[in-house]
Amino acid sequence: MPAQSPAGRVALWRGRSGRVSAFADRCPHRGMRLSHGFVRGETLSCIYHGWGYAQAGNCVRIPAHPALTPPETVRVATQHVEDGGGIIWISAGEPTGGPPRFEGLAPVRSMTVEAGIVALEEATGTSIAGGLLDYTNADTSVRLLLAPESPARTLMHVLIDEDSNPDERITASRAAEALRRAAEHIERGGTGR
Amino acid sequence: MTRNAMMDEWYPVGLVSQLDAHGRSTALMGEPIEVKRGDDGTATVARSDGRHLPVCIRYGHVWSSLGDPQKPLFAIPEADQPGRRLVDVGVVRVRCSPLRAVENFLDIAHFPFVHTDILGSEPHTEVQNYKVEIREDEDEVWATQVRFYQPQAAKSAEGGITTEYMYRVPAPTCSILYKTCPPRPGEWDVITLFVQPLAEDLCDVWPWMALFDDETPMTDLIHFQQTIFVQDRSILENQIPGLLPLDPGMEIPTRADLTSVAYRRWLKRHGYTYGAQLVAQ
Ligand code: FES
Ligand SMILES: [Fe+2]
Repeated sequence: MPAQSPAGRVALWRGRSGRVSAFADRCPHRGMRLSHGFVRGETLSCIYHGWGYAQAGNCVRIPAHPALTPPETVRVATQHVEDGGGIIWISAGEPTGGPPRFEGLAPVRSMTVEAGIVALEEATGTSIAGGLLDYTNADTSVRLLLAPESPARTLMHVLIDEDSNPDERITASRAAEALRRAAEHIERGGTGR
Repeated sequence: MTRNAMMDEWYPVGLVSQLDAHGRSTALMGEPIEVKRGDDGTATVARSDGRHLPVCIRYGHVWSSLGDPQKPLFAIPEADQPGRRLVDVGVVRVRCSPLRAVENFLDIAHFPFVHTDILGSEPHTEVQNYKVEIREDEDEVWATQVRFYQPQAAKSAEGGITTEYMYRVPAPTCSILYKTCPPRPGEWDVITLFVQPLAEDLCDVWPWMALFDDETPMTDLIHFQQTIFVQDRSILENQIPGLLPLDPGMEIPTRADLTSVAYRRWLKRHGYTYGAQLVAQ
C-alpha cells in the first residue's frame, strides 16, 4: 500500500513471514509506482514488468531475462521500519532508538483526514501532549496519533484503552469519524464545534 | 522558449467518421483547436483566433499541425491493400506524456503483467533478442524479429501461440505494429497507435487497425483493443517522472528495452522534446 513519509512516498508491504518493509515508491527500471505491485513470498514485484525486489531493496528477478542474475546495483531505496505495539513506524534517517510506545493503549483503526493538525486541535479543543491528541465525545475517549501528509491532510491513528471490548471499539471508531467531519469542516473555513 | 521541432509534425485530432458541422473542441500541444466539417464538406481545423491550420485526411483520422509540416504524413502501404478491415478504435484519454504512451506501445516485456492472459502470461516472460535500428533513409525507428508467447494474441487467435512482431516509429507520437496474422500466414496485421498531444502530460490515444479478419464482429475488435489500452493507462498514469527522461541515469534499461532506448535516442537527436525531460532530476 502507498504511504507518506518525510522522505517522500513509500510502498509499504508485508512479506509472507509477516515482516514489513518500506521502499521508495518508484521502480528503478522504468519509474512505475511500486505501491501498485504485488507480493509473493518475501518479494515485492513491480506491476509493469514484474521486476522483483527482496526486503533489503535489491533486485532478485527480471522476468524478461530469467537466466540473468540482476546486478547488485539494481536496487530500490529502503527506509527503516518497525512494528511497535500494532503501529508501523518508518524512520526517515537512521533511528537512534526504538519507536515510541504508548503503554496501555491499543490501535483501533487509521483514517485519512482532509485537514491539518491545527484544525484537528481546534476540533478537539485540546492540543497534542506526549505525542497524542485527546478527544472526548459523549462518554467515549480516544487518543489520536497524527502523521501529517500535507498541510491540509493528516493520517490519523485511533488508539483506545487496550482493555476495551468490541462494542467500545466500535463506539471509538464512530467518535473518530465525528472528529474527522468536524476537523474537515473547520479546514474548509467553517468555525466552531 | 525555442520552437520545438515537434511543432511541424502532423497529429491526429479526430475521427473522420465522427466529423460533423457542429465540431469538436480539442487541443494540440496546449493550443485549443476546433475540428469540424466545413460548408463544402471538407474538414477544417482552426485555432481559437480563427486561424486555419493545415489538414490531412488519412487512416480514418483527421490530422493537423500547429506549424508548417515539411513532409507529407508517413505512408502505411498496407492501409490500401485490398481485403483488410479498417478499424477505428476510438479514443482513450491518458494523463501522461504522449511520448510515454508511445514508449509503452513499443514494449513487450509488460505483456504478462499488465495484459495478463491476453497478450502474455507467466511463466512465458522471456524476451528473446531482437533487432533494433534507426533507418537513416526513412528516418524511422524499427524493431524486427520480436517474438513473444501470447495466450490470446488477437481476437482471431484461438489458444496460445508464439507471435512475431515488428515495430515502426515514423513520427514522434505515432507507432505502427506489424503482427503475425493467424488466418493469413505471410501477411501482417497492422495495429497503430496515433497519439494526439493535448499537453506535455496529457494525451488522447487513437488506436487504429488494418486487419485480415472477416469473422470477428466490429464491436468485439474495438472492445478488445480498448481493454488493452485501458490496462496500459493504469501504468502510464503512475510512472515517475511523468515526462519521458531522454538522458540516461534515471532508469535502468536491459536488452528487452532496446526499442525504447533507440526511440529515446532518435527523439533526442531530432529535438523532439515535447513531453520529454532532458536533465535527470
Ligand atoms: S518499471 Fe518496474 S519492472 Fe519495469
Ligand atoms: Fe500494453
